[in-house]
Amino acid sequence: MNFSFETWHITFFSLAVGLASTLLILPFGIALAWLFARREWPLKSIVETVVLLPLVMPPVSTGLILLKIFGRRSPVGQWLYDRGVEIVFNWKGVLIAMAVMSFPLLVRSVRTSFAEVNPRLEQIAATLGASPLRVFFVITMPLAYKGIVAGALLAFSRALGEFGATILLAGNIPGQTQTLSLAIYNYVQTGKDSDAYTLLGITVALAFLFVWSSEWMIRSGKNA
Amino acid sequence: MLLRCRVPLASFELNIDVSFEARITSIFGPSGSGKTTLLDAIAGLRPVTAGEIAIDGTLLFSTGKGINLPARQRGIGYVPQEAALFPHLSVKQNILFGAGRGRRTDTPPEIQLAHLLEVLEIGGLLDRPVTKLSGGEAQRVALARAVLSRPQLLLLDEPLAALDIGLKERILPYLGRVRDEFKIPMIYVTHNLTEVLALADWVLMVQHGKLLAQGVPKEMLRSMTALEEISGDQIDNVFTATPLDSDPAGGTSRVRTTRGTELLIPCVSAAAKLPLQMRVGADEILLATEEPQGISASNVLRGAVSSIDFIGGEAMVTVVSGEEFLVRVTSSAVARLGLNAQSSVYLIIKARSFRLV
Repeated sequence: MNFSFETWHITFFSLAVGLASTLLILPFGIALAWLFARREWPLKSIVETVVLLPLVMPPVSTGLILLKIFGRRSPVGQWLYDRGVEIVFNWKGVLIAMAVMSFPLLVRSVRTSFAEVNPRLEQIAATLGASPLRVFFVITMPLAYKGIVAGALLAFSRALGEFGATILLAGNIPGQTQTLSLAIYNYVQTGKDSDAYTLLGITVALAFLFVWSSEWMIRSGKNA
Repeated sequence: MLLRCRVPLASFELNIDVSFEARITSIFGPSGSGKTTLLDAIAGLRPVTAGEIAIDGTLLFSTGKGINLPARQRGIGYVPQEAALFPHLSVKQNILFGAGRGRRTDTPPEIQLAHLLEVLEIGGLLDRPVTKLSGGEAQRVALARAVLSRPQLLLLDEPLAALDIGLKERILPYLGRVRDEFKIPMIYVTHNLTEVLALADWVLMVQHGKLLAQGVPKEMLRSMTALEEISGDQIDNVFTATPLDSDPAGGTSRVRTTRGTELLIPCVSAAAKLPLQMRVGADEILLATEEPQGISASNVLRGAVSSIDFIGGEAMVTVVSGEEFLVRVTSSAVARLGLNAQSSVYLIIKARSFRLV
């Protein structure tokens, strides 16, 4: 085992960007999940499919699409570049790749927990004079919070495991865009097996922690 | 109250057109006749195709005028069948959930929380999680929650249906007290006739989304349709009375009903809630054309038959003796006694046949 500065940097960088990505998608994921669970609107099924696409598409394909969207030769990338924001080949690229890849997991989990909230409770709250916002924050959210936390944990661990989309959008630049997954790949490729095993141990421990706590949340949610 | 609405349902369209003024209106009909749907439409929880809904002259919904107030602005308290308490909040938080709402009309009656808790006997439950409540407690908490939002109308959807008989008999008086103490008009959905007779002063009979008939409960009961609906059901006479004196050794109490009929009933304890509500089954009353002698029954009342309705082999005889009594007998008994709508008869009722509600 070899806990060098580099090892800690990679771990910290992955956790920090993963956390930022999860916090970034949380409000959008909750809002969209609520729209999926509680409202009927035109093209809903199309939007649902598009949101779920990154879950089934090869991550590298998703990464290529993101590269085409945010690359400097695209209108979006050019527009951002003109305002001094560059996504590609820096930590922001890692953030975007993680966010896009983990978004469907969050939405699916939160959507299910919203759907399990008895709509009758929301209706009765409305008859008692509660505004839609109060109904959402005082009734719906608290009753679904375990599913929301579980979904956020899943999204976070998915973000940490991100590889394919990240390497296309952000590259594999040590000290700049190198996450745990990218570093493991790099170490194995360059024959630094012992470094790779250290990172492997860290990823296994983190994954175990997240999946276990996510499952625990879901189970205790069912019992409540 | 004006209800003129069409509500689309899966298998039929609910179509109601009524106008009524009553403290408690009961919507009575078999399951699947659209009763809950009607309440949802009144509360603004379900789309209405066309029509008008108004309370006290205030339009809540009108397709003609393009009015459709959202549920939160209708000022209607709703107690659904399953109570629908918020499971993550305490009893107290549930009860106070709608308490901040101002009433839309200009005359807000003050409802004191302490008084409400006392009337419904739920003061001791306040800090409990709602998941630890019994069915009857949950219903009373839901009722308190709705009343405390100071609604201009209360909708009660079979509030007693999920409860066993004993619990039902204990909660019915609470509803009566809410009616009398807080003066909130109610619409009470049920398929239980005893509840209609005990509480309502107007009844709408619905079936398959259509209004079959409406009227004063006791008169409605005599209609053929009503009898068809409920044949097989226990039919109770319900009276309100005040005690005159008690004879604990003899096991009886003498009471006088609101219309002045004196009756002997099983001995009432001093702790009983007043006024007394009591009932006697229509099947438990005997009829005689001559005054009976040497019988054990304590109540022998002279009365006059006011109507006889036949359904199948049964007859529902209405006898007026101060109060109105419904007596269910066989058609052959009516023939044997030669009863008609002017007959003079004696009602024979055992003291023990009276039950306190």
